[in-house]
Amino acid sequence: MEYLNLFVKSVFIDNMIFAYFLGMCSFLAVSKNVKTATGLGIAVTFVILITLPVNYLLDKYVLSAGALSWIGPDFAGIDLSFLSFIIFIAVIAAITQIVEMVVEKFSPSLYSSLGIFLPLIAVNCAVMGASLFMQERAYASVGEATVYALGSGLGWFLAIVAMAAIREKLAYSNVPKPLKGLGITFIMTGLMGMAFMAFMGIQL
Amino acid sequence: MDKEIYKKPLFLTNPVTVLVLGICSSLAVTVQMKGACIMGLSVMIVTGFSSLFASLLRNGIPNRIRIIVQLVIVALFVILIDQFLKAYMYDLSKSLSVYVGLIITNCIIMGRIEAFALGNKPWPSFVDGIANGFGYAMILIVLSFFRELLGSGTIFSIKVIPQSWYDAGYMNNGLMILPPMALILIGVIVWIQRSIQKDLQEK
Amino acid sequence: MNTNSNTYTVIYATVLVVVVAAVLAYVSFTLAPAQEANRQNEVRTQLLASVGIQDVKNAKEAYDKYFTESFLVNSLGEKVDGDAFAVAMNLKGQNDKIRVGRPENATLPVFICTFDDGSKAQVFAAYGAGLWGPIWGYISVDAADMNTVKGAVFDHKGETPGLGAEIAQPWFRENFVGKKIFEGEEFTSVKVVKGGAAADDTHGVDAITGGTITSRALENTLAKWLGIYLPYIQAQKSQVSSCCAHECCGHCGDACACEGEGEGDACGNCCEAADSACCHSAEGGCCGKCKTENSEEVK
Repeated sequence: MEYLNLFVKSVFIDNMIFAYFLGMCSFLAVSKNVKTATGLGIAVTFVILITLPVNYLLDKYVLSAGALSWIGPDFAGIDLSFLSFIIFIAVIAAITQIVEMVVEKFSPSLYSSLGIFLPLIAVNCAVMGASLFMQERAYASVGEATVYALGSGLGWFLAIVAMAAIREKLAYSNVPKPLKGLGITFIMTGLMGMAFMAFMGIQL
Repeated sequence: MDKEIYKKPLFLTNPVTVLVLGICSSLAVTVQMKGACIMGLSVMIVTGFSSLFASLLRNGIPNRIRIIVQLVIVALFVILIDQFLKAYMYDLSKSLSVYVGLIITNCIIMGRIEAFALGNKPWPSFVDGIANGFGYAMILIVLSFFRELLGSGTIFSIKVIPQSWYDAGYMNNGLMILPPMALILIGVIVWIQRSIQKDLQEK
Repeated sequence: MNTNSNTYTVIYATVLVVVVAAVLAYVSFTLAPAQEANRQNEVRTQLLASVGIQDVKNAKEAYDKYFTESFLVNSLGEKVDGDAFAVAMNLKGQNDKIRVGRPENATLPVFICTFDDGSKAQVFAAYGAGLWGPIWGYISVDAADMNTVKGAVFDHKGETPGLGAEIAQPWFRENFVGKKIFEGEEFTSVKVVKGGAAADDTHGVDAITGGTITSRALENTLAKWLGIYLPYIQAQKSQVSSCCAHECCGHCGDACACEGEGEGDACGNCCEAADSACCHSAEGGCCGKCKTENSEEVK
């Protein structure tokens, strides 16, 4: 029940895009059609899902204050938490590289349509943000961290696919010229964010 | 040196409203002007110095680990800033929480290193970084000005809306504090900018 | 030089990592004392706020001035050796013991605050899981009766702004002032009542609208931690209330004022003192007119 609660919260209420604006760059750039958006969404979800448990374990057993005490009592006083940003980003970059190679091998069409944005998952704020939020909120177990990872990944996926669907339709509407493209996308994201705020009342 | 390097990023190629970079990490810090200013300043320092160092190292970086090297340079400066804030501006570092760490993944920094610093001499790269950081800070400050003024009736936490207004029935717009309004305000800024500079309009 | 060769790449990466790590280690080492001082001051500020002392300029000075005593207690109510402040800096460590079902191993900090007028309050800590991450806080109880809450302060790591995060706001914690953690002899803790506590509810405070899960988590956390403190609190309570074991006002420490001096009360000798101090005296002789809700019918 606790897991389900956490999952629903991280998909809808603490949505990476609508509540924290994380991963906006690729969100705005790749949400022009549903197919690529789906591909990127899946890739991001996948990267978050793998990096988060890894980073969780690193944080718990290597980085945080006193985390090294499992080696021996002499190590209990060591606090490496100042290295966490750099370790997290290194893990993310490495895993992104692997995902990139896998996508290139198994789906060259997706690879070419995602283009530059595949390597850029490494600097996708949603991925890094998920790791930092995980550290900040001090989840109790790997299980919780994994559920949170899945939830926030799917939340991002949901947001970008929904936005792509709207933008496909929007191509046929008569938007004021200066607002076309970027401007209207920002405003729509804001409006969708307001709609998502309705989920805040959910209690599980 | 070409003046365009530091003039352009402020308006014509503003990283946020034109290049659509770096929106990710930082809209959430625009609820209050103080946070926005520190965030803007931090990003300026990081963009400036990481561009400088990336440019200094540009001939030696092995191509295959280029991205990682860039990330390490950026992360170095971000951690320095984070440690500094924790030591001397503790309250602020708490309220910025994870967003300081997220400067690492701020696309402006990586974008400027890739697009400019790796192909230019150190000094222009530094100026380019600072100017882009400033263009970014400018948007943050404009946004936070409106959000704090209309949302809490304060500027830099100092009350500016007179009590008599409240007595007469004026109310703070709570919506301004919530995340969606930041996006809508940016949309409006883009709208205004593109109304003035027609060549930026999308077909 | 071939910048694409394997050897070069490996050497480059190694040198880079070593240089960066050295710089970071140095900076982190130099700034560590200042960061540690900040974290300590934060705990001090919260402890001060929990007894109602706010907006102090120098948290360390004020803390040293007001907090005259601090010690650790175990779940049997016995004092144990240890640095209470260090434990307060890392409540999570104690919570880990409680969470795995070993509350008997926990040693919880108690802080005793002496106010300018000589009255005292005892401060207890609490730490638990909120909706998103940990929530923690300190609750202070009037040392004169070990029942009335003097104040409370709460903090959180990542509760929803505007909803659960409101537990850190002054309006919420001011609700706690004056509440009772005991009903008669029975431990009740402080409940968080959804939809608003009744005006005469001495054990309940208003829950946060929309922040029900955080509110409930806070209530559970308080009950759990105060439950571990309970043997200690009860021992203290029986000490202060034994002096009040007389027929009229058994509720020692309730706002208790004498009135009608010289009217020939059952034990008029007290009322000349014209203050409530008699309720704490070991003699226990007291007037029949202590003005409390509970004493009305005893008159």
